[in-house]
Amino acid sequence: MDRSQPAVVVEDLHRTFGNLKAVNGVSFSIDHGRVVGFVGANGAGKTTTMRIMATLDSPGSGKVSMGGHNVVHHPAKVRRLLGWMPDSFGTYEHMTVLEYLDFYARALGFKGADRLRRIQEVMDFTDLTPLADRMSNKMSKGQTQRLCLGRALLHDPQILILDEPAAGLDPKARVELKNLIRILAQEGKTILISSHILSELGEMCDSLLFIDKGRIVHHGDAESMVRGTETAGETLVNVQIAGEPAKLIEWALTAPLIKVEEETKRGARLRIQAADDATLAGVLRRMIQDGLPVLDYHREERRLEDAFIDMLGQIDKNTFKAQQPGELPQKNAEAAKL
Amino acid sequence: MNAAPAIMDFSDRLSPMVVKELRQGLRTRLFGGVLLTLHLMLVLLTLMSGGAENAAVVSGWFDGIATLVLCIIMPLRGFSAVADELKSGTLDMLALTRLSAGRIIFGKWAAIASQSLLLMLSIMPYVVARFVFGGLDLFGEIAALFYKWLAGVVIAAVIVALSTQRQFWLRAVIVFLPMLFGGCGAASFMMMSRMGGGMSSGLVFTSFTKSGGGGSVLLVLGMAAWAIFFFLSLAATRIAPAASLLSVIKRSVNLVALLSLMLLGWLTGSSAAMGMTAAGVLSLLMMDALTERVNEVPSVYAAFYQRGWPGRLALWLLAPGWVTGLAYSALLVALVSAYVGWARSVEEAKLIAVGAAGTWMIAALVQLFSTRKSRDLLPPFIIFWLIVNVMIATLGSLLMIPWAMKTTTVWFTCALPQLLQAGYTTAQAGDKAALLNLGMLTACIWPGALLIAAVFAWRRARAARQEGWRMIHGDQGGSAV
Repeated sequence: MDRSQPAVVVEDLHRTFGNLKAVNGVSFSIDHGRVVGFVGANGAGKTTTMRIMATLDSPGSGKVSMGGHNVVHHPAKVRRLLGWMPDSFGTYEHMTVLEYLDFYARALGFKGADRLRRIQEVMDFTDLTPLADRMSNKMSKGQTQRLCLGRALLHDPQILILDEPAAGLDPKARVELKNLIRILAQEGKTILISSHILSELGEMCDSLLFIDKGRIVHHGDAESMVRGTETAGETLVNVQIAGEPAKLIEWALTAPLIKVEEETKRGARLRIQAADDATLAGVLRRMIQDGLPVLDYHREERRLEDAFIDMLGQIDKNTFKAQQPGELPQKNAEAAKL
Repeated sequence: MNAAPAIMDFSDRLSPMVVKELRQGLRTRLFGGVLLTLHLMLVLLTLMSGGAENAAVVSGWFDGIATLVLCIIMPLRGFSAVADELKSGTLDMLALTRLSAGRIIFGKWAAIASQSLLLMLSIMPYVVARFVFGGLDLFGEIAALFYKWLAGVVIAAVIVALSTQRQFWLRAVIVFLPMLFGGCGAASFMMMSRMGGGMSSGLVFTSFTKSGGGGSVLLVLGMAAWAIFFFLSLAATRIAPAASLLSVIKRSVNLVALLSLMLLGWLTGSSAAMGMTAAGVLSLLMMDALTERVNEVPSVYAAFYQRGWPGRLALWLLAPGWVTGLAYSALLVALVSAYVGWARSVEEAKLIAVGAAGTWMIAALVQLFSTRKSRDLLPPFIIFWLIVNVMIATLGSLLMIPWAMKTTTVWFTCALPQLLQAGYTTAQAGDKAALLNLGMLTACIWPGALLIAAVFAWRRARAARQEGWRMIHGDQGGSAV
């Protein structure tokens, strides 16, 4: 594989199903050895894009190359480079874990001792050896997910596409998955992961791709995403007090430069119209002077989820502004007709 | 590091798909249950067959049980073979391995055929035991058992092909309706043959093979092999990636099979029979060719362009998609009609062409009523075929009865290809030629309509063909067809 070229190149990809534009002009590229999170709401176009990248669907128009090979013209070459883990894990009835891996190893062209060695390596990596004789459809979700990851790794692919790998997993299984992905990233594999759990993606991924309504709306690292959408000159502060939170709310409503964002169990989230340390310290000082029993006062790190939602809101606002004066947005126009 | 237990149950030489299906299939309760019940019943029957007076009854039961197991229960194991993989998403994972669509489908079928063979072989000792007890034609019974297995594996190929259809109800209708009618027919045949002297199916097969000699056996084996290939390749095309060139192999083999059949007829002096057999398989080949989606993958066309002018010529007949399927089906109809015209009569050749127009009519209706985005043309084709052939033929025949009773030529049968055969049979001798010519003329509407749709569909794929041309020749000179 030519490592001077990006591992993944998607150019102006379109795909429609009937009247639905599932993917509408998606373009991005991923360099070798990068871990990229693919984020979007249900129906945003993540799975369709990933399926086209995995040669499982055909693009309506546009070009997708994996490891320098066009997915439409050379699907067999792409498949050799690719490990695919779908959102449905897909195990079989009446088949043990070992038989499951053995079947896929055979299907991938491994023979004899080479096959046994490779299965052993994958089982060790995914910690499936103790479960070798367990029926593959009688395992917990976490174990099934490890089995599916093991299957995707059998031929040691250079590019991994993982569609919602953490969906439905308990916290322990999520941590295990995160660790496995971290090891794979250290081995230099290019990984594209779609997920709804943005905080986890933020930790694992070098960069994030945000897709909405079939279009890429942001491509960058998690920090730039959070910074980029932060409202300038404002800070969110989480405050906890001893006693009733009502006292804090009452105080905040009368204080200058402070708005109550949300009441919490033991206090409130406050939006302070300042970002400098001196003003924030001043607010805390005033609270104590006014007799509030403050237990905790800390600047709230902006969550990726919030940043994403803010960004989508911003896009909707810009789309609305871009309309001609007097012209209604599509949905409203339809409603107006009714 | 814990060592996983080694797994060496099946040889590396076996197809991975066969290994998987056998591992799963041999563990199912159905297989175990069928095996145990079958042997329990056969033990009882063998013990009962001791007396000569029971021999005929026991033979009937023996045949019935073997037929039920080999021709119905075992093939039905393929009913959801591919549909289940499609629904659970595992077919995608299979597609990403080195297994081609053809190998996936073949593996599914081969596992059923192997399990069926296992059951057939397990029945053999009972046949020998009954021979030892007396009153049995050993060769005939073994031949009958083999033919039942053969019929069963052909039916399994049909059912595996149907299992590529996601909708359960459509699969159920297509599988169970013919089984119902076929079962009733078989039961009537067996009852009639018992009443007419107690001829067992073993004797039927023996007399068939003996009368025809080795040639007949080879013909039956050849036809069975082709039928298995046809249905499995039909299934493989439906799950193959868009860039697959499976259609080229499929259409080439089918064309060679048809030509071989006609050549065999000419060599053995049975041209008339072979001509009618060829006409019988014609509609199947047409259905397959006319239900492929028009391919818009440039590399598919590039594969033809890189072979120069023979490739460009072959593109018109063999490139995947129903548009080239129309040209291919026209070639097949021309070949079979010419052969039947030579071997039997021009009238029969014309009737075959009109019958083919009936298939083109269904394809035209599919194009008319399915949306441009419809990816799968086979289900609507089958639905239209069932509706049109069953309804129009039945209602049309009912309409015809009063006219035919008055010994009047039923001219309105010219309007629909499905009715013309019946109209021609009941027509007055003097009107037959005119009726047939009029029928031919009206039948031309359907290939004509399909041709118009084909022109538009061909133009839609123009960009893909041009891109395919550029992949081979760059931007220098010439252009795609």
